Amino acid sequence: MLGRITREAESLTINGSGIQGVQSISANYASTAQFLNNLGVNDVKYAPQGPQQATIDVNTLLTHTLSPSAPTLSTEMMYGFTGDFPFSGVVNHGSKKFIFTEGYMQSYSVSCAIGEIPTISTSSVVYGQFGTGDLTNLPTDSYPSEINIPSYSSMEINLNEFTTNRVLSFNIDVATPRIPIYAVGLDVPTGVIAATPVEVNISFDIEPDDYEIKNMRFVPEQTVFKDTTITLKKNNSDTTLLTYSFEDMLLTSESFQGSSNSNASINFNLRSFILR
Amino acid sequence: MADLIFYDKAAVKVTVGSTSEVLLASDCSVSFSSSVQPLYSIGKKGSLGQFPSAARVGEISFSFLTSMTGVHDGQPGNIINYLASGIKGSINSNASGAVIQVAGLSGSGFLNSYSFNIASNSVSTSSASFTLFGSGEVDPSAAASQFLNLPITGRLGNSDYAPISDNARLATGIGHGRFTNLNDFRTELTGPTSNGTVFGADYSISFNHNPVYKVGQEFPTCTYYTTASEQMTVTEDIFNSGLSFSGTNVNGEAGNVNLNVKGLIDNNVQMQIGMSGVKQINTSASAGLDDIVRTQKTLVAAY
Repeated sequence: MLGRITREAESLTINGSGIQGVQSISANYASTAQFLNNLGVNDVKYAPQGPQQATIDVNTLLTHTLSPSAPTLSTEMMYGFTGDFPFSGVVNHGSKKFIFTEGYMQSYSVSCAIGEIPTISTSSVVYGQFGTGDLTNLPTDSYPSEINIPSYSSMEINLNEFTTNRVLSFNIDVATPRIPIYAVGLDVPTGVIAATPVEVNISFDIEPDDYEIKNMRFVPEQTVFKDTTITLKKNNSDTTLLTYSFEDMLLTSESFQGSSNSNASINFNLRSFILR
Repeated sequence: MADLIFYDKAAVKVTVGSTSEVLLASDCSVSFSSSVQPLYSIGKKGSLGQFPSAARVGEISFSFLTSMTGVHDGQPGNIINYLASGIKGSINSNASGAVIQVAGLSGSGFLNSYSFNIASNSVSTSSASFTLFGSGEVDPSAAASQFLNLPITGRLGNSDYAPISDNARLATGIGHGRFTNLNDFRTELTGPTSNGTVFGADYSISFNHNPVYKVGQEFPTCTYYTTASEQMTVTEDIFNSGLSFSGTNVNGEAGNVNLNVKGLIDNNVQMQIGMSGVKQINTSASAGLDDIVRTQKTLVAAY
């Protein structure tokens, strides 16, 4: 009988810590082998052209947080990898597994809407090994975590607009560019630079009451900069689990939708750049 | 309509002496030109006509994968590297040239320049350029002897030769940046110690040939090899401000250093270019957005 592998037999471990609340994992590589064409071609040959990389995309629900005593940037484990450091891990599926080393996060996003638990999506590029092999001599940051589920009903957003205008959803995108440096004689980078700036975009969907669309011209007195803080709290609790805070975010877009069978809605986007 | 020649029937074959090799060329261009100039005289507005001012010459240039399984003399390499090495080390000035054939065209020429690059994670590509002077040595057995020894002869047609296959699907015999070690060319500073990381290198050598013409004959009676100049630019991450007035010696006062190019297997098989009397004459740094500051140095040698 043909076997199948279902979710209970799949797991993702990063730096020794099991990732909780995983909804989906997508890991892939594409060979850089190129057909070597030439005048008078009479044979098919291949050679690698360009550095070999892989990508790993992970979607999780924010169901667990690390212990506040863990020496990490954030109690949300994946958010900690938006910094300088790489990670390694293993994906188990049934009796098989594959490893990856020198993974660097390239994008991190968190979103939540009414009726949802916050969803975290990450995309990382793997510059080291990917596939068969064993993880050796790697850090195992096995920090304790506990189940802590925030909900849309227990979060705080500091923008003034939301005292009279209802937030339907928000989305935070953090893009962390990486520059791998390759030397002759090696197939892995001699270094990976955590490039600057880090671009942060936050968008909100609201049902407006007195929210006013701004002038699209870059008029100084109507150019809007805002400090934005989103605090996720434990469900039905005042316990803060996680805070996303960004300063001097520029209002970059607004859109208005009105229709005959629904409330008017407005989407607006704030953007900032973080130098590191 | 003339026959249409598709690229798979247009292999480039180079013959040096009694040995030949079909290269893994990616492009090839052939040109043939005559130096006809108009003549003017006082008292006449129009030209007197157009007349030759120099012999006809041809040019053939092509790019090819830096194969290491071709013709060589001791060290693995290809026929162009073999030819360049032979000319560079030659003590005989009388040059015999090489025969280049592509898509039915043929000519005997002298290597003008040869170059190749090495970059991380990339296949190495080479290029070569030949000047074809033709020859005054007429074969008396040929009926139409006045057409012999032209710089370029032939008409377009399918080549009946192709690169030799070694049946290996992975091109292990092509120069590649994966295992090539260029640490002999990196900049090393002391006090404090700092060793450069080499990101890539471009090697080139150019040759000067002197065709000897005599009155009464269009093409040269013979061609002499005169000089060669070799250059290598190395891209790394160290700026050496200690460049000296007389150029900085590379690898000791003698400046002897080997450029070794490896394929996709990390073994002892490597194409080797021996450079002697090498001096560093230039160093530069450039900074651009979203990249590290990279430096380049230029090494030269003369023969």
